[in-house]
Amino acid sequence: METSDYLRVFMDECQEHLQSLNSALLELENNPGNKEILNSIFRSAHTVKGASATMGFNKMANLTHAMEDVLGLLRRGDLEVTPEIINLLFDSVDLLEVLAKGIPEGREADIEITAILQQLKEYSTPEETLPSDRDRRRRLELRYTKEEREQIKGRLTDTKKLYHIHVFLKEDCLLKGARAFMILREVENMGAIVKTIPSAKELEDERFRYDFIIGLLSEEPVEKIIASINKVLDVENVQGTTVSIDEIPEERRAYGETYRFTPREEKDVEEPAPSHLGPATLTVRVDIRKLDELMNLVAELVINRGRLEQISSELQHQELEESVETLNRLLLRLQDDVLQTRMVAVEHVFSRFPRLVRDLTRRAGKQVDLVITGADTELDRTVIDEIGDPLVHIIRNAVDHGIESPEERKAAGKPETGRLEINAYQAGNQVLITVRDDGKGIDRDEVIRTALSKGHLTEEKLAEMSDEEIISLVFLPGFSTSEKVTDVSGRGVGMDVVRERITALGGTVRVTSKRGEGTTVTIQLPLTLAIIQTLMIQVGSEIYAIPTSLVEQTISVNQSEIQRLRQQEVTTWRGEVLPLIRLQDVLDVKDAKNPEYNELDVVIVRNGERRLGCVVDTLLRPQDVVIKSLGSYLGNIPGIAGATILGDGRVALILDLRDVA
Amino acid sequence: MEENIKEKRSEKEEAREELLQLVLFRLGEEEFGVNILQAREIEKLDQGLTRVPKAPLFVEGVINLRGEIIPIVDLRKRFGLTLPPLGYDSRVIIVEVRGAPVGMLVDAVEEVVRIPVSAVEPPPPITKGVDAQYLAGVAKVGDRLIVLLNLDRALSPEESQELAEAELGDG
Repeated sequence: METSDYLRVFMDECQEHLQSLNSALLELENNPGNKEILNSIFRSAHTVKGASATMGFNKMANLTHAMEDVLGLLRRGDLEVTPEIINLLFDSVDLLEVLAKGIPEGREADIEITAILQQLKEYSTPEETLPSDRDRRRRLELRYTKEEREQIKGRLTDTKKLYHIHVFLKEDCLLKGARAFMILREVENMGAIVKTIPSAKELEDERFRYDFIIGLLSEEPVEKIIASINKVLDVENVQGTTVSIDEIPEERRAYGETYRFTPREEKDVEEPAPSHLGPATLTVRVDIRKLDELMNLVAELVINRGRLEQISSELQHQELEESVETLNRLLLRLQDDVLQTRMVAVEHVFSRFPRLVRDLTRRAGKQVDLVITGADTELDRTVIDEIGDPLVHIIRNAVDHGIESPEERKAAGKPETGRLEINAYQAGNQVLITVRDDGKGIDRDEVIRTALSKGHLTEEKLAEMSDEEIISLVFLPGFSTSEKVTDVSGRGVGMDVVRERITALGGTVRVTSKRGEGTTVTIQLPLTLAIIQTLMIQVGSEIYAIPTSLVEQTISVNQSEIQRLRQQEVTTWRGEVLPLIRLQDVLDVKDAKNPEYNELDVVIVRNGERRLGCVVDTLLRPQDVVIKSLGSYLGNIPGIAGATILGDGRVALILDLRDVA
Repeated sequence: MEENIKEKRSEKEEAREELLQLVLFRLGEEEFGVNILQAREIEKLDQGLTRVPKAPLFVEGVINLRGEIIPIVDLRKRFGLTLPPLGYDSRVIIVEVRGAPVGMLVDAVEEVVRIPVSAVEPPPPITKGVDAQYLAGVAKVGDRLIVLLNLDRALSPEESQELAEAELGDG
């Protein structure tokens, strides 16, 4: 691995730990007594400390080190979890994020951390009034049980002596565990270690303050042992003495207990509250670019499979057809598995929301219960990376403008604490994410006023619009830039940007709102962006692909069933009026045949609640296709979602008829 | 290492300043040239073009070039030249415009020539019916007048919109 690879791994890991620090701190805020959460926070901070120290990011290491000291005290119960400490820890995590962001730009070392460091140290440096407590902890004693004494006695000779080596590490030592390990290894070269306090395991896990005692059987002179320990970095002081086993009082209980024991912990020994901070699953970290490459290869295979299928059906060779069939099945599984590896739980995005909502509500002086469900719903990595910002935007709107202040809510006869629900679930090959609040809702009349005044709407148009359509006006670009709208309508800051981002992902976004009852934003996203199921259709001599996610049904309509309603061809379908368009009109196809047909093939495309019948010449076949971009030269062409390569090597365009619908 | 490469590059650049290598091609009867460094490859158009609805008028469609989707531009339409139908000699020169590959349809690719940089002069306002905004210059080689294209401009899709709007405005 190159340095940059290490750095990437480090950054990834850092992000993950900062994220879990954030969510664990939130949990701790709600359950201040939960030791399990404290342990998890401690572990995360500790890992970041070790990793950043190894990478040479000293500010990060120092900061996490100071955090760890405070966390250690909290864990031992020497310090109580107070809102002040939680806030300080949140601030520290924020600062860590700033430091982490500064790393790629090489700014980590320039970022000021002394203020927070100082505050952390105020907590972790024991006050002078508690010297006895501190002394008790610092007075280490190495004792032996009866069995151990017997063993030692049996191994002592005239030249081999029992030494107690008391090692003090520097208080600012960052990798205590590693240093202790090196020291033990150094000492092992000169004799047999019989025992240490704290135990070797605790030393390795850094569960000790700054000093430890090694019991060593050795023939070497004590000076030589001390000298070799002093060679290890971060050693402050080493004291070595020859001891006589008979002078040491006998140890009656297993040690370690003395060191970690605190009365408070005893109180909490019952099973810790269940928490989702469970053990890590067995995973391998893979560079996303490798997965992209893999995906591309599978995509090429899918294209070639199409070609093979075509050839084998032309040749009508049975064995060839059978083996192509097998290939098909295997490829399908490969495709599924590769897609699976790229799937990431939406939790990756959702996990930052509790913190976001906490900060937003504090600032706005509101009370909000956040309920997240379906965080384990999975989406393709490419989609996950893109939905974070739009969701943050929607949540911010909901808290800032949707949910009322406690007083307003009380006056409106609602519970003082508002409720914000974020829910994700999979439906077919789509994932739906809803953000629902029980706030004041969008003021339909205010939206109409604004739309009229801004010229987005005419009175005639308005008469034809449903309530949902009216509320959807908040998605219009520039609709909500005015302060007034933001305040009164309670929503809409940059909703046009939200819609743009979601649409770019091949998704849709809808808003429904009831005055006084709240607002729901529903985002519909494709599971993946790489391979999609399509329906191939033909108009004139041209072949197009329509994503099946947009297709409601295909029907056959007789010319006689078509009527005209205000210049628009319509037919009746399931008792409803279905507007029809001839695809050749939308796509400027000159040689379309369907005007001559009696029976028309119609693809019903849906966009939210609306449906549109698209008249084609021929329905060809369903086909999985690999989406390729038309490239930056052509950019976005309305109605065209991309292109794909057919079995015969020709290009077919993928239609996105939602804008038309 | 890096410095070495830089040196080599600057040497190359110096060499280029003295001699310019051009791919010469024909649009109708007129001869044009592009810097060979901008041309990625030359292909025969032996597969069907896929028309792209709503694309700029001079974009003929897209083709699949070894798995890559490449838009094909008809320069004759862009420059408003009279167009004989594409024939046996027609080729596609794949060039890059702002990092994106674009295929230029030409009536024939003729040859590769080296000309001294000093032979290139700024273009007159209209050369062979082509607006100077699309040109990088003109060069006299013997008794031939070669028109050098400014690819970024000649193939820019944005410009075309302005142009179309201007035309609309005029009409």
